[in-house]
Amino acid sequence: MNKILISLNTFALILLFLSFTFSIFSITTLKVDEIQPIKVNFFELIDIAEPPNRVSVVKPKENINEADLIKTQESNGVKNASGLEKYKINKPDIKKELSKIKLSKEREAIIKISAIIQDKISSVWIKPNSLSKILVAKVLINLAPSGEVLNFEMVEPSKNIVFDESVLIAINKMSFFEEVLGLERKLFESNFRNFKLVFKSSGEIE
Amino acid sequence: MEPFGIFILAAICQFYSCAQNVSDSVERMQYASVAGEEYLEGEKIETNLDDKVYFDFDKSTLDASDKNLLEDYLPAIRKAKIVRLEGHCDERGTREYNLALGERRALEVRDFLIIKGISGKKIRVVSFGEERPIKNASNEKAWAENRRVEISLY
Amino acid sequence: MRSFILILLSSNMFSLLEIEIIKGSDNLSKVAFVPFGIEENLDENYGLQISTQIEKNMLLFGEFENLDKAEMLSFPSSEEDFYYRDWKIMGVDYSVIGKINSINMLGNLNISYSLFNINRRIKILEGEIIGRENNIEGIAKIISNRIYEKITGLKGIFDTKLAYIVNSDAETFQMCISDIDGKNEQILFTSAAPIMSPDWSPDRKKIAYVSFENGLAEIFIQDLASGERESIQALGMTNSAPVWSPDGKSLALVVSFSGNPDIFSYSINNKRLVRLTNHYGIDTEPSWSPDSKKIIFTSDRSGSPQLYEINTQSKRKKRLTRDGNYNARGRYFPDGKSIFFVHGNDGNFQIATKKLSSRFIETLTSTSLDESPTISPNGNIIIYATKDGSKGYLGGITLDGKSRFSLPVKNGSVREPAWSP
Repeated sequence: MNKILISLNTFALILLFLSFTFSIFSITTLKVDEIQPIKVNFFELIDIAEPPNRVSVVKPKENINEADLIKTQESNGVKNASGLEKYKINKPDIKKELSKIKLSKEREAIIKISAIIQDKISSVWIKPNSLSKILVAKVLINLAPSGEVLNFEMVEPSKNIVFDESVLIAINKMSFFEEVLGLERKLFESNFRNFKLVFKSSGEIE
Repeated sequence: MEPFGIFILAAICQFYSCAQNVSDSVERMQYASVAGEEYLEGEKIETNLDDKVYFDFDKSTLDASDKNLLEDYLPAIRKAKIVRLEGHCDERGTREYNLALGERRALEVRDFLIIKGISGKKIRVVSFGEERPIKNASNEKAWAENRRVEISLY
Repeated sequence: MRSFILILLSSNMFSLLEIEIIKGSDNLSKVAFVPFGIEENLDENYGLQISTQIEKNMLLFGEFENLDKAEMLSFPSSEEDFYYRDWKIMGVDYSVIGKINSINMLGNLNISYSLFNINRRIKILEGEIIGRENNIEGIAKIISNRIYEKITGLKGIFDTKLAYIVNSDAETFQMCISDIDGKNEQILFTSAAPIMSPDWSPDRKKIAYVSFENGLAEIFIQDLASGERESIQALGMTNSAPVWSPDGKSLALVVSFSGNPDIFSYSINNKRLVRLTNHYGIDTEPSWSPDSKKIIFTSDRSGSPQLYEINTQSKRKKRLTRDGNYNARGRYFPDGKSIFFVHGNDGNFQIATKKLSSRFIETLTSTSLDESPTISPNGNIIIYATKDGSKGYLGGITLDGKSRFSLPVKNGSVREPAWSP
């Protein structure tokens, strides 16, 4: 039994290592056709000009790293672009840059629509007062290209009945996300056909 | 006046003893010695002196002018049988804390009087915290007037 | 480990977009309180009376919004007549319906009621209750509690009471209790000298408080049923700030020997005092943690009033607050993980909370002389004393910050609210 566990363990570690290296690799060299999984986090989108008049500080957690990554990625792009004048221009470089620009535009569109969805859900979600509990519930949403919600499923409940129920009520109130209508079909299929809403309660009094 | 001395003694014992329980006998003795108003025998002696000492917010220290005021009071205090010191606070902050703070202020005055040779036996200390303001208003002037120790002689 | 692999696989294989939702709506849940139906040959008034009473209770602390009766499209009293679309269209989240089925010779009403979740299109509560016709209020409280529990997941609080001190003039101090909606006020004790610090015993049968009737602070325990009062005569110059332990067997209190206030625990049965703190600074305002293992207290040992907690067994002390120069009268939340207290900031004294695990203080109130906060037994609402000019009144706030309210004004200054268990 132990041996099985150990081998499982090493297998998992190797997998972990591989996935890490792969993820680092995939961030540095972007290809046009590859769609990155995107996490749209709250703090990226929230209006900063809304300082709560309390002393509390909510920790942005690891999500900020991703936001930073996006920024550094973009700034790298700019640097390379200005560097073009100094160096000999070769075709693959231009292709790379174009693909980056295209990708960042796609990314922008996705983030924009995500922000609208986030806002819409926030405006109907009556969040229960959960005090010191940190709760997370994930819901998988299935959209039609028209933006209609075809189906939804709570894939990871928080196990707090009231919290889960409040999430379900909020989603029940949403029947359309018509914002996706303007999206390119490919972008829709790869991002909004199925997506997850991650409901979080930080445990702070908000 | 004897029981009061016992009280102080017992209190000191209590203060320094590591024992965490207070025996019943001590309890009764001490209580008997501080039964409130009833030990204020005799008529109140009226003086034409200023009978209030004032304090800063959340402070119980006496400044030079307070000490002068108390110095002026000393002859009258020496003649009196009982000196009653009543500590008060302003409305800011919490009530129970202010009750303790009022007591602190009255004790500060008591300690000064003892240094000046007044017998601790004839000094009675009570605190009303923020429960008995002179001025019932919420401004700096009222607060300053309410942070006080009142001296009365019997 | 297996689940870990699954997560890895799933994140690599289906790289799904994830949208994080942290902020909730500022809106309140909208509840429709449909007038209860009546079986034939019964007094029609009962139906409206009971639904109105439930509505009043539920709206008491501003936790919900209601649908006006004039806007209702139908008045169902049983599930057969209930159509979700009638309520969905009005933006209702929950509907309460009910019916008075019968009344017997003894004047007992038989009432059934249901609660519907409109968005989820399900009935989430159904019940039946029998009560006397002259106790509509009591029946409504029970139904309100059950509805509240179902919607919020928190314990209903409509049968709780509030104790408070009323100071109508310099020579009149009264200790009063009333139902949480302000009804049925009772004066427990009147005195010409100040009364302070009321605190309910966990069984709601007694109240401990401080009275100056004998010229200095003295702790009394008053039995609510008999009205009997007993001084606990705990020695020292000043006895103050009594707070019942969760098991009701002891009081945490402050005894000041020769002017040095310290925290003691006093066992009510054998009248034994156990010293908990021993410091030349002011130690006061004790309160027990819900598990009775710790006591929070205020001490000025650092130079300004700050909150500390002491383990009642090991006597180990820990400082809880560091920000600001006035943090006092702390109390634990019912879950024991956070505290609420009075926080002084730039000369303003406001009600604040802090998680024990974090150092950040959150201010809840915005008036400047707020004190004596007391929390609802379900941990969702804080009532506190504040001032408007020289007159004291009671204010309240729900912990999600969505609702702020003030309690009906009384003749005289009201202060030191204490929410019953």
